[in-house]
Amino acid sequence: MLLFASSAHAQVDAAPADAAATETTAGYTPMTPTEGKGMPVDGRLSFQDQFTQDGRDALWMHDAILMPIITVISLFVLGLLMWVIVRYNRRANPVPSKTTHNTLIEVIWTVVPALILVVIAVPSINLLLSQYETPPEEAITIKATGYQWYWGYTYPDNGGFEVISNMLPPEEALDRGEPNQLAVDNRMVVPANTPLRLQTTAVDVIHSFGVASLWFKLDAVPGRLNERLLTIEEPGVYYGQCYELCGARHGFMPVVVEALPREEWEAWVLEQGGTVGEPEVVEAEVEAEAAPAA
Amino acid sequence: MAGTKNHDYHILEPDIWPLIGAFAALTFTTGMVFFMHEMNGWQIILGLGIAGLIATFFSWFSNVVKEAEGGDHTPVVQLHMRYGMILFIASEVMFFVGWFWAFFDFALFPDALQVTAAGTAEQATENLFVTQGVTDGTLVPAGMEVLNAFQLPLLNTLILLCSGTTVTWAHHALIHGDRDGLKQGLWATIALGAVFTAIQAYEYSIAPFNFGQNTYSSAFFMATGFHGFHVLVGTIFLIVCLVRAYAGHFTPRQHFGFEAAAWYWHFVDVVWLFLFVAIYIWGGWGAPVH
Amino acid sequence: MATTAEGITAPHTDHGHDADHKPGFFARWFMSTNHKDIGTLYLIFAICAGIIGGAISGIMRMELAEPGIQHLGMWVDMLGGDGTSMDANYHMWNVFITAHGLIMVFFMVMPAMIGGFGNWFVPLMIGAPDMAFPRMNNISFWLTVVGFFSLLFSMFVPGGTGMGAGVGWTVYAPLSTTGSQGPAVDFAIFSLHLAGAGSILGATNFITTIFNMRAPGMTLHKMPLFVWSVLVTAFLLLLALPVLAAAITMLLTDRNFGTTFFDPAGGGDPILYQHLFWFFGHPEVYIMILPGFGMISQIVATFSRKPVFGYLGMAYAMVAIGVVGFIVWAHHMYTVGLDVNTKMYFTAATMVIAVPTGVKIFSWVATMWGGSLEFKSPMVWAMGFIFLFTVGGVTGVVLANGGIDDNLHDTYYVVAHFHYVLSMGAVFSLFAGFYYWFPKMSGRMHSELLSHLHFWGFFIGVNVIFFPQHFLGMQGMARRYPDFTAAYSYWNEISSYGYWIMAGSMLLFFANLAYAFLAGKKAETNPWGEGATTLEWTLSSPPPFHQFETLPVIEDYHDYHDHRPAGA
Ligand code: HEA
Ligand code: HEA
Ligand code: CUA
Ligand SMILES: [Cu+2]
Repeated sequence: MLLFASSAHAQVDAAPADAAATETTAGYTPMTPTEGKGMPVDGRLSFQDQFTQDGRDALWMHDAILMPIITVISLFVLGLLMWVIVRYNRRANPVPSKTTHNTLIEVIWTVVPALILVVIAVPSINLLLSQYETPPEEAITIKATGYQWYWGYTYPDNGGFEVISNMLPPEEALDRGEPNQLAVDNRMVVPANTPLRLQTTAVDVIHSFGVASLWFKLDAVPGRLNERLLTIEEPGVYYGQCYELCGARHGFMPVVVEALPREEWEAWVLEQGGTVGEPEVVEAEVEAEAAPAA
Repeated sequence: MAGTKNHDYHILEPDIWPLIGAFAALTFTTGMVFFMHEMNGWQIILGLGIAGLIATFFSWFSNVVKEAEGGDHTPVVQLHMRYGMILFIASEVMFFVGWFWAFFDFALFPDALQVTAAGTAEQATENLFVTQGVTDGTLVPAGMEVLNAFQLPLLNTLILLCSGTTVTWAHHALIHGDRDGLKQGLWATIALGAVFTAIQAYEYSIAPFNFGQNTYSSAFFMATGFHGFHVLVGTIFLIVCLVRAYAGHFTPRQHFGFEAAAWYWHFVDVVWLFLFVAIYIWGGWGAPVH
Repeated sequence: MATTAEGITAPHTDHGHDADHKPGFFARWFMSTNHKDIGTLYLIFAICAGIIGGAISGIMRMELAEPGIQHLGMWVDMLGGDGTSMDANYHMWNVFITAHGLIMVFFMVMPAMIGGFGNWFVPLMIGAPDMAFPRMNNISFWLTVVGFFSLLFSMFVPGGTGMGAGVGWTVYAPLSTTGSQGPAVDFAIFSLHLAGAGSILGATNFITTIFNMRAPGMTLHKMPLFVWSVLVTAFLLLLALPVLAAAITMLLTDRNFGTTFFDPAGGGDPILYQHLFWFFGHPEVYIMILPGFGMISQIVATFSRKPVFGYLGMAYAMVAIGVVGFIVWAHHMYTVGLDVNTKMYFTAATMVIAVPTGVKIFSWVATMWGGSLEFKSPMVWAMGFIFLFTVGGVTGVVLANGGIDDNLHDTYYVVAHFHYVLSMGAVFSLFAGFYYWFPKMSGRMHSELLSHLHFWGFFIGVNVIFFPQHFLGMQGMARRYPDFTAAYSYWNEISSYGYWIMAGSMLLFFANLAYAFLAGKKAETNPWGEGATTLEWTLSSPPPFHQFETLPVIEDYHDYHDHRPAGA
């Protein structure tokens, strides 16, 4: 697979000693990623395909509104420049005009851009509103905690176990048929087609939990708990990264979200020693879970 | 005509102090780094830096004074200085905006935040971290004592307000050619400034909280500390004016050095009023006092 | 103050003796109180910093040319670290991007535009003999230099996981506080204090000069647009930098004296730092482009042989950009967990800036419309600027949408955006201004051929570097990564090729400088012809050491498009 061509990357240090490794027993085997889905594709010119409603809305907003508008504006300015070069160069127009004002045109080039911006602003505001929908009662809470330099995923509604997720050394990732620098040992496994109440926080410095194919990015800030609704529409493996400079291994703490059909996910939870059932909203436990600052 | 200066601006000869001053500043900051990391020789570097800075300020301002007395400060040059001083004070105001911003951030959002998916920020029901007592959602942590705004701080407010009037007294005296009044007014202002500083120092020494304890103490000490530093600078500025007054400088028509000192003093005064109202009174409201 | 046109336009050789009496070498360059000499010092300094910052970006592009870690270990060894430690390698990357960002912003663009061209041409354009505070002018320069030294020091001392400050040019807490042990970050912070102090003093100097030292008859509404641009920029500096100073002082005390401004363990708030930083940081990006706008206006008018179209609109558009620039800062923080209303506000406010900027773009085009265009080297750079800045600006409008930025934030799309406005916008305007004023400053003509070749090489080079970065960003490639997954190889490789094209063209720039000084024709008073209507073109090239010993008088009956004294 050319796509995952091996790299001269050196071994990344092993997981920190204090990170409890999660058991991987018989039932669950990590899903094999589908090439090109939930991961970057070499040489592509646009966004990754989207697997959330928000993502598709945003992608539409970009592709159908923003991209045409900015392309036209750029080409328009380029066209004007070309035109003056051809028409008003010294040979073509030896005697310059002395015009310095034209109120009408000045009003036009103030008002028209303003109107264009209104055209952008309206769907933009709607997009923001839809991204901030309140999660329904039955949403499953998952908390992603950024550490220097790995992620921990806690499942407070399912017994509160934590999955520690370290990047796989590149060779191992390639052996498993996964993209290098993006694969991890233990993924954040979630149910597909289920609203997730995804929370982020961090214990040392700021990290950022981002997955490009889900149009999702939320900073993990020490002392704060950020929360956002996320509903992944189909099973699959979705690769993401840490998007806030967090020190030496900022580039080496990828995010991998594996969405499974609900039953398979529940089986995975049980395997982890978690519980499945009516998610009790246990806010206090969520908070208590967080380790004290170092 | 050609080659002769035919305007009122002040064209200066080359001067070494900018170069020395800048390198002294670098020496000072380097010394600070050495000091903060307890690296060898910090005393020497820091000392050299401070000495260089003092020498620069001293020579620089003596030169300015000499030029003023030598008649280089034509009306338009004096106007420059007015603009320069106003703009400098404007930048100082923005510097304090930074500290007040921090203070109000802590005062209005004292606890760890939970930003919910619905897009509203709520205070997390329970703190994410076992913080040093900052758990009850107030700026001043439970059980922490603060300074009573209506004792020494109130006294200091009155002192500073008073000093604002004495400096105006000195100014009026100067304008009316009353040199004695000028000196008395300046003496009074300087004395009041010194008393303020002394009280502030005393207050720090008895403060029931430490420098770097939590956000309240951090904002308190840094904001009032920078203010205190400005009081010191302002006092020195006034002392310079007093010395110059004894040396016979300043005329009822030309005395910008004095005016600049007075403006600066008023600016320091106004900052204090904001500190007093925001940090001492409002910030400590309801908390047990020392 | 009676004045005659002859005082200005007469050949300057004959009255040069007193006016041209220059101090000795040391006094002239190390103790200067002359705005032109200080401007020259700033330009030399900025070019040196540009070479260093540009060389660092070359190391970065070499590293990113293919996946894997290529060269970082070598640099770690050179700085006295342990090149075999991967963490030290990765840290080296962070040090490079930090140094590159800080050098380009604080020690290349700002010194060149404001310190260099501002110092040289603000007094000349308003008909003043010098700046208002000549001695303070000099300490502004030397503070910039020592600020740069402090940044250099930081490279050779420990900064946590390796040598140097690896915190990004934004110096976010808590990575820059609890996250970076060692003195490197302190040196970097002091670097900003020193350079910032220099800039604040410079800002007071420019504002005072522009308000008080305009030649008789030169009202604000007759000032050349470059002077307007520096005036607005100086206000942004004056009001934005002190807030940065406060913020980085908090970093220092958090690091060293136990305060807890940004430390949640003491109730502090890391996001507070970002608010304070971007309250400065967003005005800062306009600080880096407004003087460029000013230069482009002068150049476009000159080579169109036509007055600027919509002068007042142009001036007040800059004022509007400056004012609105202060209330959009949180568009850099869309993913920190802002609430939805805040995000909506900042989305709307940010987009507003496109309107006055559009006024500028279209007024430049309208200035050329009907003109008699001559494509001398400054003009080609100016036209390149107009197009490439537009491209960078419109991607800014994409990022302004909070819901879109969720995906693009901290990806290479942002890197592409800001290099289009900086490495093309700001830098193109710098080269435009440089070729425009080089004959005036040096008294020598550069080679038009070499400047045109420089333009085309640079134009192609930077576009090849930065256009593909939009695609990388959309595919999700994160910023500040020394290494990447194989699927980002294609565009990264192309981007790195672009660097060599650009670098090749820079050799032509230096060749051109050498040519001009060794063999360049002597420059006339006004080499650009009748389109050049500002006061500097009435003085000899180079101007006398002290110009305008007798102030020029701008006659009332001139309209504001002609800045020259009567009869000139
Ligand atoms: C010279 C510097 C400069 C300039 C001028 C700008 C100009 C603009 N910038 Fe940029 N920006 C930066 C430098 C600059 N920026 C830097 C350095 C960063 C990254 C910092 C970091 O994180 O390290 C950044 C990041 C940045 C972000 C944050 C991205 C992120 O981190 O997620 C955003 C988001 O809103 C943004 C927006 C804008 C906008 C809307 C403009 C507008 O001012 C642009 C206006 C111009 C135009 C729109 C083109 C001309 C107009 C017309 C032809 C009229 C018609 C147009 C329309 C109707 C659209 N910028
Ligand atoms: C003005 C600002 C500026 C300029 C000009 C540049 C120029 C370049 N930049 Fe830089 N860049 C930044 C500001 C700038 N950059 C900032 C702020 C960051 C973010 C840092 C961070 O994340 O913290 C960044 C980050 C950054 C990255 C991302 C690193 C990462 O996130 O991991 C990359 C990667 O390719 C890059 C590459 C380049 C390249 C190849 C150039 C080339 O175009 C360089 C070519 C050289 C020049 C254009 C200089 C020539 C000028 C002169 C010699 C002076 C001339 C003077 C006169 C005429 C008076 N830059
Ligand atoms: Cu964690 Cu970047
Ligand atoms: Cu911005």
